[in-house]
Amino acid sequence: MTPLARGGAVGAALVAAMVVPLATPSPYALSIVTLTLLYGYLALSWNIIGGIGGQLSLGHAAYFGIGGYASTLLFVQFGVSPWFGMFAGAALAALAAALIGYPCFRLRGAYFALATLAAAMILKIAVENSHGLLGGPRGLEVTLLRDAPLQFQHTRKEFYYAVVVVMLTIALSINYLLLRSRLGFHLVAIRNDQDAALALGIDITRSKLAAAMLSAALTAAGGTFYAQFVMFISPDKVLSANLSVQIAVMCIVGGRGTVFGPLLGALLLLPAEEIARRALGGIVGADMMLYGLLLMIVMRREPRGVQRILRDLWNRTGAPRSVNAG
Amino acid sequence: MIDVFAQALADGVASGALYGLIALGLSLQFGVMKIINFAHGSLLMVAMYISLWASRYLGAHSLVAVPLVAVVMFVLGFAIQRWLLEDIYRKEATREPMGILIFTTGLWIFLDNLFLVIAGPDYQVIKGDWIGRTTSVGGLMFGYPQVAGFVFSTLTTVALVVFLRHTRLGRNIRAAGQDREAASVLGIDSARVYQVSFAIGLAVLGIAGALLAPMYPVNPFVGDIFGLRAFVIVVLGGIGSIGGAFWGGILVGVIESVGAQLLPATFSEILIFGIFLAVLYFRPTGLFGLEKE
Repeated sequence: MTPLARGGAVGAALVAAMVVPLATPSPYALSIVTLTLLYGYLALSWNIIGGIGGQLSLGHAAYFGIGGYASTLLFVQFGVSPWFGMFAGAALAALAAALIGYPCFRLRGAYFALATLAAAMILKIAVENSHGLLGGPRGLEVTLLRDAPLQFQHTRKEFYYAVVVVMLTIALSINYLLLRSRLGFHLVAIRNDQDAALALGIDITRSKLAAAMLSAALTAAGGTFYAQFVMFISPDKVLSANLSVQIAVMCIVGGRGTVFGPLLGALLLLPAEEIARRALGGIVGADMMLYGLLLMIVMRREPRGVQRILRDLWNRTGAPRSVNAG
Repeated sequence: MIDVFAQALADGVASGALYGLIALGLSLQFGVMKIINFAHGSLLMVAMYISLWASRYLGAHSLVAVPLVAVVMFVLGFAIQRWLLEDIYRKEATREPMGILIFTTGLWIFLDNLFLVIAGPDYQVIKGDWIGRTTSVGGLMFGYPQVAGFVFSTLTTVALVVFLRHTRLGRNIRAAGQDREAASVLGIDSARVYQVSFAIGLAVLGIAGALLAPMYPVNPFVGDIFGLRAFVIVVLGGIGSIGGAFWGGILVGVIESVGAQLLPATFSEILIFGIFLAVLYFRPTGLFGLEKE
């Protein structure tokens, strides 16, 4: 099969798989599926800068929070539909990403990871102390209108499920197209060898900035979705360092820099987390311990993630292939 | 009013020396191996728990516990470098060390939550007669742990500088940090040098943790804020510079302590990180420029 045909087949299978959860009778199950797909979407957004761009971001919760707070504030204070607020949040997050990224991308190594970590922490402290406008540590509630799809809310969970499927499809497409675009080639070149990329005349700072801004904007849209889905946001939910880490771990465990790896990571990890939580009887910290452990195991065993392991298995047992693709 | 500021300044210098010590190991590891160990804060937390347990279950005076914690952390550091980091490091020695960053992030999350599971979320304090005592110097008041922290931090920093400059092993470590290939041509076993450097980094961190434990309640996430501060200090001081880490620590200590007199406590945190980002913008090689990268 050509890569395109294979991509198409996988895409069709995914679309089919996405119709199935609608058959579940339980709104609770559908909520879990919706959240899992949201995490898949976030992991795909992270993938743009963290996977394809090769820059470790440990502060994506900041963009997620910016998206949630921007749309909620515009809606609650000025009655602006969160559909528009989503774009405002995305623009704001892209701006924040540019401010954090610009000084770091001229430098090498861990500066970006440190700066994203620090910036997310500053934002959380600032929001927790803004008692007036942003509600401080207690957070903000989205005004309940019940069935108002134009205001991005509905009593039926199927509404949110449909929206998250669309968002996920967009994120998958962006990752797919990016990997085949000029910017994508530049980013991969920079990730593999920055000096060689520089010698080829690639504008390193600009490429990384573009990736960081796109990644931040998509993440912020996820934050708006979360606010509308839960109808409530607070700093410890949308700005926590744990969230930043979770997003990154899903992408890395699944397979950073690939199209389906990040989604695979979310599909594996969220149910695993849920099962671990039940099995361990709700020991606080056990779920995050699992995340840390998985991260270490993946980095030691197969840094290219579960996606790679599955592909190797497929190549070994499936149809014989003359050359081992990529 | 002047007194209040003089006291705040002195407190800032005292705690700053200890902050510098926390950052020292991180800076050493970066200087020699060009890696950033994201689990640094968590390992500080581990050192603090070891110190807490030593005083609680062995009845050790918390200053007696200092060398004990240092030895345990040295062994831990050697093991981490030898059995966890070395393979990953070797694979990507010439590239951006993304693998080490991600791996140590995993170690950080793992350790924090492991201690949450085994030690619980509560803040715990070391008990001891000397901890509450104070002394006064020139009209300023200092707690005993604060004085011990300042004195032993400064001594440890000086000792490390002397070790790196004037011993054979110290010179090997610096040589491997400056040029790995040239060092190996001269017969320096770089893998062994990295194991020892990482171990020394953690031993120093152990001393810092044991000195900090009597002053600061311990909980599983205590390392996060100190770890992040250590990164800030390393960047302020110039990454890889030992002297820079010391002065960077003092600067951060003073900003925090004097800032707390002028602003609500949470804002001094924002101020420190704001300065951090500003230094990245304008002087990425550090404020002091003591050593070049």
